Amino acid sequence: MRKVKTTVIGSYPVKIDNVNLMNRYFYQKPSSWNIYIDNAVNNMIEAGIDIVSDGQTRDPFVNIFVRKLKGCRIRDRPEITGKVEYNGPITIKDQKYVKTILPKDRELVGLLTGPYTLAKSCVDLYYNDNNELAYDFAKALHQEAIGLSKIVDLISIDEPFYSVSMPDYACDLIRTVIQGVSCPSRLHVCGDVSKIIPQIIEIPVQILSHEFKASPHLFNTFKQHSFPQTICLGSVRSDNPEIESVDEIKNHIKKGIDVFDEKISQIAPDCGLRNIPIDSAFKKLKNLVIAGEQIYGG
Amino acid sequence: MFSFTKEQQILDISGIKIGGQPGKYPTVLIGGLFFKGEPDFNKTKKDIQKMQNISNRTGNSAILDFFIRKEEYIEPIIDFIDGNIPENHPFSIDIIEPSLKITALELLHEKNLLSRAIYNSIHIGITDEERQALKKYTPGTAIIVAFNPKDKSPDGKVEILENGANLTDKGLLEIVKDAGITNILVDTAAMAPGDYSGASIAAIPVIKEEYGLPTGCAIHNVVEKSKWLDDFENFRKPVDASSNLDIPLFGGDFAIFGPIANAELVFPMIAWQDILISEYSESYFGVEPADIHPRRKFF
Repeated sequence: MRKVKTTVIGSYPVKIDNVNLMNRYFYQKPSSWNIYIDNAVNNMIEAGIDIVSDGQTRDPFVNIFVRKLKGCRIRDRPEITGKVEYNGPITIKDQKYVKTILPKDRELVGLLTGPYTLAKSCVDLYYNDNNELAYDFAKALHQEAIGLSKIVDLISIDEPFYSVSMPDYACDLIRTVIQGVSCPSRLHVCGDVSKIIPQIIEIPVQILSHEFKASPHLFNTFKQHSFPQTICLGSVRSDNPEIESVDEIKNHIKKGIDVFDEKISQIAPDCGLRNIPIDSAFKKLKNLVIAGEQIYGG
Repeated sequence: MFSFTKEQQILDISGIKIGGQPGKYPTVLIGGLFFKGEPDFNKTKKDIQKMQNISNRTGNSAILDFFIRKEEYIEPIIDFIDGNIPENHPFSIDIIEPSLKITALELLHEKNLLSRAIYNSIHIGITDEERQALKKYTPGTAIIVAFNPKDKSPDGKVEILENGANLTDKGLLEIVKDAGITNILVDTAAMAPGDYSGASIAAIPVIKEEYGLPTGCAIHNVVEKSKWLDDFENFRKPVDASSNLDIPLFGGDFAIFGPIANAELVFPMIAWQDILISEYSESYFGVEPADIHPRRKFF
């Protein structure tokens, strides 16, 4: 069987040393975030993951982008206070850093939070038009995507809000983000996507990623459709710290193979792992890798 | 000159009034002691007297900020406070190490000094043990340092007060209120030179408008760390002292101005700025200066 790559959706748990951050503040020494990135990346490498991320350790996935884009601010919640525009690299510096610590046999996924999710997650004090706001996010993210594509092996766009309310311009938004991007792209939509599969498969990305472990009924609904993309198969829960055994993961992957066969290109956790304990996240990844090796070979 | 739409709190910290609309109360000046570690109590007594004299002359209230950097200094410094700081006067305890903060709280409780103590400070580095200690031994006043390593802008400082920026389980304001501390001062967290240091000044009116709390900072720290001033060594002290002028100009209520040895330079400067602000605030906004205001003293 051909090698299917193990990967992650995005975030990894992080424990920030606030006392150290404050000591550095009081003594006016610059603080570095690299220790947290190192920890996430090294855990993924040690678990054996083929395509690793930077762990999204700086912030939750919406805040990472809102914090750096023009026209946005974060006070109690992310807010839109002006026209949203690109204001320079957002995640690129961290991705460049990860490249310096990544072994040659591993790949890197660049992470973008989708424009629709960003638009839906902010309090809009400026546009009063979610469509226009989402497109401005998409244009800004496009610039980040172009920069990222020169560094990473894959760009993953995370659009959880599509499973809540899929706009009729969903496909065009993602096209706006990834047009002209030189590396492959993946769309991750968590939640129950069974009712929007016809729209999702129209989106011009190479890989579709969903929560097949938490929502196994998706196997049946996907069966009814043919589509050009390959599948990133969610294979361990990201909302539950309980560690799936290797056998349980293998059984799940086999169900996926029954439905998708050669279309499975990646196996991954269902979603980002930020909200589960770090030990649990590491063991889930490790078992995922072992299960993948036992099915697809090392 | 500012007048805020949000109602401004005026705190009474052991007889010292702080806060309110610009022009109402003079800027409270907080001078530091024992930066270098080992306390020299004899020299300190003279410096304290000098600062109190200049405070009496200008009308700007003075508060002493006692740095405690080692465990062995806790008891002698608190004994010194107990024996030398008048009972109707507050004082600030400035400790970085969380375990020393807890020891100091216990001792302040034993000496019945907590109600006069200004706890400097509460920030994202607060530990669970410190939170428990604060609930047990609650100081009358706390300074919150609104340092947000993720965003050093005024918005980031609001974020850290409001929700802790995902670095703490809740916002720093809620953490302080949970501890039962009623008097809250906000320090807008001056950064190192070149690291968005001006944001600590810009944040003063933002935070006062958002929360109405007495707000200030230690902007002199920026000057103290400015390497380019090495070429102008004779000017470091006046530049350091005058940097505090920005605080009342931007509506702030207190300046943590550095070593009390600088008091004789800082107090008249700030008094002058307070007079200027009061003149305009009274004529345009109708804010009458308090009886202790330097404008009442000199005009």
